[in-house]
Amino acid sequence: MESSDQFLSPKSGETVRIGGFGSRVLIAKTSLDGHWRGVSVVARALRDAGFEVILLGMVTGEEIARAAVDEDAELIGLNVGGRIEVAERIVGTLRSEGYEGPVFAGGTIPPYAIRRLKDLGVESYPPGSSLRLIVDAARRLTSKGGD
Amino acid sequence: MSKESELLSEAATVSGIPVKTAYGPADVSSSSVGGRLPGEAPYLRGAFSEGYRSKPWRIFQLSGFGNPEDEGERIRYLLKKGETGFIMEHDRMTADHLYDVDHPEVLARSEDVGLSGAVQLSARDTAFVLEGIDQSSYYAHPGGAVVQHAPFALAAYWTVAKRRGIDISTLTGTGQSDYFLTYLGCITKQQIPARDGLKINCDIVDFCHRHVPKWVPISIAGYNGADSGLNAYQELGSVFACAIEHIDETLRRETIPVEEIARSLGGVNFRVGMDFMEDIAKLRVARKMWHDLLVSRYGVTDPRALRLRIHVVTAGSSMTYQEPMNNIVRGTLMALASILGGVQSLGVSGYDEALSIPSEEAHHMSVRIQQILMHETNLSKVVDPLGGSYYLESLCESLEERALGFLAEIEAQGGFISTLDSGWLHAHARENQFELEHALITGKRSLVGVNIHQGDGDPFGVDGFQGANDVFDRAVARLAELRRTRDGRGVVAALKTLRDTCHRGDNIMPAMLEAVDADASLGEIGSVMREVYGDWKVPISF
Repeated sequence: MESSDQFLSPKSGETVRIGGFGSRVLIAKTSLDGHWRGVSVVARALRDAGFEVILLGMVTGEEIARAAVDEDAELIGLNVGGRIEVAERIVGTLRSEGYEGPVFAGGTIPPYAIRRLKDLGVESYPPGSSLRLIVDAARRLTSKGGD
Repeated sequence: MSKESELLSEAATVSGIPVKTAYGPADVSSSSVGGRLPGEAPYLRGAFSEGYRSKPWRIFQLSGFGNPEDEGERIRYLLKKGETGFIMEHDRMTADHLYDVDHPEVLARSEDVGLSGAVQLSARDTAFVLEGIDQSSYYAHPGGAVVQHAPFALAAYWTVAKRRGIDISTLTGTGQSDYFLTYLGCITKQQIPARDGLKINCDIVDFCHRHVPKWVPISIAGYNGADSGLNAYQELGSVFACAIEHIDETLRRETIPVEEIARSLGGVNFRVGMDFMEDIAKLRVARKMWHDLLVSRYGVTDPRALRLRIHVVTAGSSMTYQEPMNNIVRGTLMALASILGGVQSLGVSGYDEALSIPSEEAHHMSVRIQQILMHETNLSKVVDPLGGSYYLESLCESLEERALGFLAEIEAQGGFISTLDSGWLHAHARENQFELEHALITGKRSLVGVNIHQGDGDPFGVDGFQGANDVFDRAVARLAELRRTRDGRGVVAALKTLRDTCHRGDNIMPAMLEAVDADASLGEIGSVMREVYGDWKVPISF
């Protein structure tokens, strides 16, 4: 892909990069629910803040872990569209596969699920979280930050 | 300026139409209402002269989760509360992708199964949902929101009816086959190309015309376009661009007269959000645009075809995560706008929409909102009560002009499907998404409890509905039982017929019904469709 105005495919195996100067953030969907509005808005905000954003689409925990190693990702963003058990399992897989970096989550995550993700060290940004808050979190969680 | 008045000073509608402080006769062209009454062409003021006095709007809520029995129980609950039609949501993971529950992509996320609807992998599962529900008594939406899933969902519902001895030509209900969901709002991991979807949709139109004449075969539905970011006039323009593709494709077959095609496609869906007056205007303009389009482009004269019927779902994206009970007020206001806009059918999103699928309490509330508006406000007595309002009529004129402009832009690019294939429509939605989010930071847009008047948490402790936990295991067991007890040779033969039919380009519905009646599973049917049609190349760009 040649410019910063890239194509996003929500499918696996078609990695998409946007931005490209600051820290590298992977964004993946945990469920097979294809709503992309949240991912799109967050990815763009992170890119505008200088992050390199890699969109993985609907992938499994193993696929995210592999991409995190291959891409030397500093932060993983999970778009949680399904049950919290799936997100928890994915976080477990990331840890067991050797990814030790920070993970944060967005999506329709109900309060009880936010509490459970917090126990795993995952910060959640449910609907209504401002883009500024999300970008600030990404900067705080990565060493170099965006710009 | 005080802080409150600063917040209120933004002077444009959500779709960017400038708004003045007051409106008068000079703001409205003389032809705009022109002494016309509701029920008179071009139907700006209403499709029917008697409005809700002769026919109240249909209370029609999205519903479904868990096991087939859970979904059936919730539907019966809603009907008991006074819902006047019912909707069967399917498990999105299996349904939208045409996967069986033991597909590797599903196994990787097995806990998600049943979160968004009941798992229905065969007509037997659909029969479990419908236990205790008389199909001949209710207007039904049996699922098939996603284009590639619609033939299966319709076939399963009709097959259950046939097995119960009901003549399907007597059934009433609606399909969906939603382009805005499938190719714009909620893009699945795999789906058939948009162009092939159009062929299949027209197969459904054709089949219903012959065999299920009271059925609304598909529903052109702007909701998911709008909730993905398209503004009011973009939603209008693209909905009618989508309708034009379907009319033209069906006309090419030379099997159904245009009046009949128009009548069967003339039940559309729009989203109503929180810009109260603009969304009322949108519904009024929709009726006029449909009338004008059919008259000027297709020479339609039959009033039954020219009267657009509208189903509204209130905007899920307007429902806030923060202080969810505030959403009861938002739901009421959006429902009110829908009724003032003259809808025939309405679903009010649950107050817990931003947290989860609706709890029973949220569903209860959505039905009660509608009933209170219907019975306590006297609003159902007078059609188009806001007709003649300088502001509303002026908004209608502005919206129509912009919607026609957007429609012309789509057509200049080869039509609706071309703008999906190229990602042009997605790009418009995406720009608006970002602008709306950005406006929350700059304060140009206000959401109570979110970016202004924030509270310290939710005083009511709404925690999100969790659904059922045993869905995956029971779906696996039902699938094993299905495979063990059906006539395997009959399934193989029916799937071969389906494959041959798809390859030949014939109407797929008779073969789909045959396969479903042979107890072929959703995933087996999906394999055939994937093999024949392949995968859509997703064009979303940032």
